[in-house]
Amino acid sequence: MLSVKNLHASVGDKEILRGINLEVKAGEVHAIMGPNGSGKSTLASVLAGNDKFAVTEGEVSFLGQNLLDMSIEDRARMGLFLGFQYPVEIPGVTMANFMKVAVNEQRKFRGEEPLTAGEFLRMMRDRSAVVELDSKLTGRAVNEGFSGGEKKKNEIFQMAMLDPKLAILDETDSGLDIDALRIVATGVTKLHTEHNATVVITHYQRLLDYIVPDYVHVLYKGQIIYSGDKTLALKLEKEGYDWLINQHKE
Amino acid sequence: MRLLDYIDNSQASCGSATSMADAKVWQPAEVVMNPEQLERAVAEGGELSILVVHSKSDSAKMNFNVGQHGSLRLVEVFLGDSFVECNINQQADSECDIVMIQVAGAIADYTINLDGGHADNRLRAAYVVGDEERCRVSLRVNHNVADCTSDSLVKGVAGGKAVGEFNGMVYVAQDAQRTDARQTNRNVEIGPDAKIITKPQLEIYADDVKCSHGATVGQMDGDAIMYMRQRGLSEQQARRMQLEGFVADVISVNGEIGEALKEELVAKLEKL
Repeated sequence: MLSVKNLHASVGDKEILRGINLEVKAGEVHAIMGPNGSGKSTLASVLAGNDKFAVTEGEVSFLGQNLLDMSIEDRARMGLFLGFQYPVEIPGVTMANFMKVAVNEQRKFRGEEPLTAGEFLRMMRDRSAVVELDSKLTGRAVNEGFSGGEKKKNEIFQMAMLDPKLAILDETDSGLDIDALRIVATGVTKLHTEHNATVVITHYQRLLDYIVPDYVHVLYKGQIIYSGDKTLALKLEKEGYDWLINQHKE
Repeated sequence: MRLLDYIDNSQASCGSATSMADAKVWQPAEVVMNPEQLERAVAEGGELSILVVHSKSDSAKMNFNVGQHGSLRLVEVFLGDSFVECNINQQADSECDIVMIQVAGAIADYTINLDGGHADNRLRAAYVVGDEERCRVSLRVNHNVADCTSDSLVKGVAGGKAVGEFNGMVYVAQDAQRTDARQTNRNVEIGPDAKIITKPQLEIYADDVKCSHGATVGQMDGDAIMYMRQRGLSEQQARRMQLEGFVADVISVNGEIGEALKEELVAKLEKL
């Protein structure tokens, strides 16, 4: 589904990604961990198409197409979803209105008819239940005045609405209390099928208690220096990154 | 439905069952098109809801007196390049709620006198100008006596080579203690040639007051546009949605007229 080969990216003259290789297949869950500043969020942003970062080398294909040639919106319409670490507030734009335009744009891209008002409302009701999102929030402006937990639930709600092929969740667990973490993580698990894939970027093993990864990758200084299965996350939680970093330096 | 269609449709029913009783759907008791002179007095304890539309290039003078415990709701729309002076005098315990939109190179010049204790004034306004238009909103709120409240929010969008101007003044007289006044002007400039001029001012002679004022001029929020595009909206859709959201939240009237006002703003934004 996603194939990243030797991806280099920089902001200004600072190189942040220095040769990332990553293969994600349908049905898989990948976790990307790593110390602060290792490039995890940059990787998510570059895959989503944020033009703050310049790709200087490498290739990325998504569903057989060259991802790096596509606009941000076409990547989204192809089925790439980014759960933002810091969801943006958009005053005056209601969640319902925003999602209606987004869902119908994506349907249009796939050659499907727009949803009727009734279909859309039913969909909103069903999908907001996935993350126990208060239905009142969908009538409010996007993320405006939402608590930290509500913002993250709202990301997963949008993921449920848009039903992506590949979801990249950038520190969706940060700033969540234990209950909200459980709800968000359970929501992600409910949405996971053999036809889609999830990449979770996280600092903590506890998220992976709910979202059990097939692969755990450690990103350090812009490269994946080690990959393992879910037991790697447990080891990292106990022992930190130093042993891996030392091993990498040798 | 555009505003003028709304007015055509509603002309027949106007003045009958007015809506102040039915708070859910707002309908004006009176609709006035292109007045040159307009004088209205709201009697003690009385109510008036009025829609005034300026669709031509001419000038007008309007005066409203709101008696004790009276209530005025004014919705004013500038579709043409009019120059309008509007004076509103409020007596004790009166309320006045103004919604104003300008989608033309118009000049609106408001003077609000809070002349009796516990008078309350609320204004929500938006201007959207493009091409080589120039518009101006002047707003002077005079807190002449103690214990009055005012809250004004004016938003502006300028595109093309247009100029949008806001002159705000909150005046608090020496005896006007316990005044609570807020005045905010927020603007977005689209493109390098658009220009916003904003001058919020305070003149305070009393010492026990709560006053705040602020003005901002910004560009479009790039992070919000990126966020919306990541959900599948085109850049143009994202920009338009953001601008619509920015200005449309000043429209605090609901029902068909609220929708018609939003349509006027949206139609104007689409031309920028």
